[in-house]
Amino acid sequence: MALALPLYVSEVWLRVFEYAMVGAVAAIGLTLLSGHCGQLSLGTPFFMLVGGTAYAALAADAEAGSDLVGIGLPPVIAIVGAVVVSSLAGLAFAPVAGRVSGIYLAVATLSLVFLGLYLGQRFTEFTGGAATGRPAPPFTIFGFSLTTREPELTVLGVPFGAQERMWYLFLILVIGGIFLALGAVRSRPGRSWRAVRDNPASAAAMGVNVARARATAFAVSAGYAGLAGVMMVLWFGLLKADENEFQGSWSIAAAISLLAIVIIGGLGSVWGAVLGAAFVFGLPLALRLLVPSVPLLASITEGSGGFTPSVITAFAYGSLIVLVVIFEPGGLAAIGRRITARFGR
Amino acid sequence: MSTFMQLTINGAGSGAVFALLALGFVIIYRASGAVNFAHGSLVLVAGYITVRAQESMGITVAAILGVLGAGVLAVIIERVLVARTRGGDPIALVLLTIGVDVVIVEEVARRLGSSAPFVRVPWANEVIHVGQITVLKGQIVALCFGLVIIAVLFALFRFTGWGLAMRAQAEHREAAALMGVRNTQVTAAAWLIAGVLAGIAVLFLATPDFAGGGVSRATHSLVLVAFPAAIIGGLDSTNGAVIGGFIVGLTGAYSQQYVSFEFARVAVYLVMLAVLVVRPSGLFGTKEVQRV
Amino acid sequence: MKITRSLVAAVTVGTLTLASCGGTKSESENTGVTDDTIKLGVLTDLSGPFLELSEAILAGNEIWVEQVNASGGVCGRDVELVVRDHGYDADAGVVAYQELESQVLGFMHVLGSPINAALDQNYLDNETTTVALSWSSFILKNPYIIVPGTTFDVEMINGLSYLMEQGQIKPGDTIGHIYLEGEYGENGLLGAEYFAAQHDLTIEKVKVLPTDSDLRNAVTGLKGSNVAAIAMTTTPAQTLNVAVVNQQLGLDVPIVGNNPAFGPNILTPETADALRNVYVVASATPYTSDVPKAQEVADLFEARGDGVPHAGVPYGYAIGEIWGQLLEGTCDDLTREGVKKAKDEADSLDTEDLVAELDFSSPGSPATRAVYVAVPNIDTPGGLDQQGELFVSEDAETYRAPEQQD
Repeated sequence: MALALPLYVSEVWLRVFEYAMVGAVAAIGLTLLSGHCGQLSLGTPFFMLVGGTAYAALAADAEAGSDLVGIGLPPVIAIVGAVVVSSLAGLAFAPVAGRVSGIYLAVATLSLVFLGLYLGQRFTEFTGGAATGRPAPPFTIFGFSLTTREPELTVLGVPFGAQERMWYLFLILVIGGIFLALGAVRSRPGRSWRAVRDNPASAAAMGVNVARARATAFAVSAGYAGLAGVMMVLWFGLLKADENEFQGSWSIAAAISLLAIVIIGGLGSVWGAVLGAAFVFGLPLALRLLVPSVPLLASITEGSGGFTPSVITAFAYGSLIVLVVIFEPGGLAAIGRRITARFGR
Repeated sequence: MSTFMQLTINGAGSGAVFALLALGFVIIYRASGAVNFAHGSLVLVAGYITVRAQESMGITVAAILGVLGAGVLAVIIERVLVARTRGGDPIALVLLTIGVDVVIVEEVARRLGSSAPFVRVPWANEVIHVGQITVLKGQIVALCFGLVIIAVLFALFRFTGWGLAMRAQAEHREAAALMGVRNTQVTAAAWLIAGVLAGIAVLFLATPDFAGGGVSRATHSLVLVAFPAAIIGGLDSTNGAVIGGFIVGLTGAYSQQYVSFEFARVAVYLVMLAVLVVRPSGLFGTKEVQRV
Repeated sequence: MKITRSLVAAVTVGTLTLASCGGTKSESENTGVTDDTIKLGVLTDLSGPFLELSEAILAGNEIWVEQVNASGGVCGRDVELVVRDHGYDADAGVVAYQELESQVLGFMHVLGSPINAALDQNYLDNETTTVALSWSSFILKNPYIIVPGTTFDVEMINGLSYLMEQGQIKPGDTIGHIYLEGEYGENGLLGAEYFAAQHDLTIEKVKVLPTDSDLRNAVTGLKGSNVAAIAMTTTPAQTLNVAVVNQQLGLDVPIVGNNPAFGPNILTPETADALRNVYVVASATPYTSDVPKAQEVADLFEARGDGVPHAGVPYGYAIGEIWGQLLEGTCDDLTREGVKKAKDEADSLDTEDLVAELDFSSPGSPATRAVYVAVPNIDTPGGLDQQGELFVSEDAETYRAPEQQD
């Protein structure tokens, strides 16, 4: 189904799905960190910005007369580089993450969003700044672009433009991300993360290096965020620093919606993160597309004081968070498990 | 020199308002063990009630209504939602209040539309000149409010049964319950006080001289600046909240003038990070004990 | 593991069945023109921070459309607007653009600099001529972008010239410039710096973010530097805060602001006095103006009976006029290419003084350099009193915009 979707679905809906995939990758990393290692983080957008910036700087060609940094590496290597750079940024935060825990950590990671805002606007030679940003280097393999429409390609009578190709690229990245995460959860690091989450003191007594477990969790989660940042930049076709801390791709709003994804999906659940992302990232865009064609929606959304798609989505995910925390701390994942259990019998 | 003096006054003045906000965080943290991310929405609701009521009833009645409204809302949030969270896990409570905040802010912002009315408090736009220095009346009033509230809280904690219960509960919730402390009332009262503080704070925030904008989404954003104040002081220390407020206000003022506005925003958070690395529970906070 | 395996199976089977049916999607050649309608897109902010401005401009657009359709349309066709809301979110803007792009000939207007920045490459790829409502001269690099009026840098040059003519500032003075991070602020600063270089002024720069609502410390610093005036390339709330603090600290210098630095909602009984020192510079007429066409549009707007008076209304009407004249110029070739050509050839577009005469034929140069100066007045609908006629200062004439070609 997923593979054939671009043959049937219009470009604009592909874009909506792709946007949800960006959220999914970032949220998978966050759910590993918060769900398995017990470290609540609002800093994900910062690592996304780091990844997106690293990709743009590594993959872009240096241009004469431009202040922008461009190394000119092949895009595949640039993506790997971006993930590595953002993981290192995650490691750099480890000393703080190692000392501070619980609620204090959540607020401490919030400072990363502010740091990202400052650095993004300060180092315009990397980010392109908040004014115009810098174009995203297209993702090409052997001269075939997966994010623009060069060279032209038609599959079964359907022209494969930028969105159709990006769909496949993103699909590969998401599926890869899911399987890596599932692997990590089952493996040794995953077990040590959970031991640290449940009780750091007894984990240490059992021989787990608590500081190291926390640091790896941070690095892994930052790596996922970095990849999501690359995807965000490719999706926009543009890397741009945010204008303020409350709105934008790397903002507090983004941090809170990512947190919402993993809570609604069920803390720690990889598949839950994917579902949650479809909801939190996909719904506002999907609603906006539906509004003009559904008269009922149009009548309640219009004008001052209207229930706009972003208001509806905020209501929906705000109250879902509340409901999940009170009634179903396992989130969508737990509900899903219960349903499969019932029908599986 | 007079620029430096004026900056100090400016910074201390906004610090007084941040202290009021930070106190709200601290009181709830002591009672419920939760950082209340919905504090900003309490401020916003109080502001909304005040600006809607001030036309017909005058500012005094409107402000009282706003303050009470925020107090009642805080109690409702506590009774209906927070109290039902299983085990009172602090992380779950943070998430819960984030959810509540998202919904309330969105609703108030929707109702306000593009308008951003000011609260018509008597101290708005009033200044006192002392030599070359200008002091905002509003900030002096905020400071007085802050000091009075701290004194009252101190007296409450110290000399009333409620205060004793509150202190017992902040020390150890279950043990306090076993010894007959009624958690329910103590906690609800704490949320009421925090809501009232939020309602008072908005009377200083949504004025042309403090923020330029009236009651709007931006008012909610300002509350975020009080976060570092509460953390720097230590989440369970009322004195810490006040000192944290001043640290944040002064850091902001000096770095805005002597470095840049861009840096000032991150500077506050860098100070917070530095404090956390050295003292993971803030300057005056109680260190968490790790139990096996 | 069981789930994954069955998922893979489902995917494979699904692909095969679907693939055997063949594709059903195909690229549309429709460019928004039929025998009786011309469709133009509008991407604007009907749910975000610029709601007030957006609704006003859209109302102006709609008044123009109603009027032109009633009188037989353009090129014998009715004009139809397809409006989408982006709430000032770039992601929503990108998706909405993608949706509209296949339905419309071009864009009546796209509001918001982050959205226009995100769409810059799309305009080139799709050849969609767009009226971009982010008045910075940086974006003039893109040949498909129309900036209807002057740009922030030129506004600022004219504004400072006005103060100098009035004797409020003189060579040798220091001027404070509070400007926003990003395209808008940087462009305004460019103008202020040019003017300063011509007249031996010193600029004391203060860069702020849109969310810096308390600028007391900035004004304190400017007072310390003894500024003679403050230039503002900011949000309305920031202008208000600076005006209030300017008065409180006893600085009391004139404030000159770019067009977006003022909004009628900052003008209230308690703020009116502090705002008396503010001069707003814009290339469009205020809502209440001596220009006859502006009065006509205001009457039509009031006849509609909804919405708040705002300078955006006559401006939105002027944008409609611009599109009408571009389309009339290419009736025999109503394609995107045709529109672009008509735009490149338009060197003296007339909107009956709603905006000065516009020249889109010199690439990279602002379409006009003439502005109106206005001061806030709480008793005037729209909140601004026009001061004198359209004017261009000498410095604004000689100024070279950053992307200017000739």
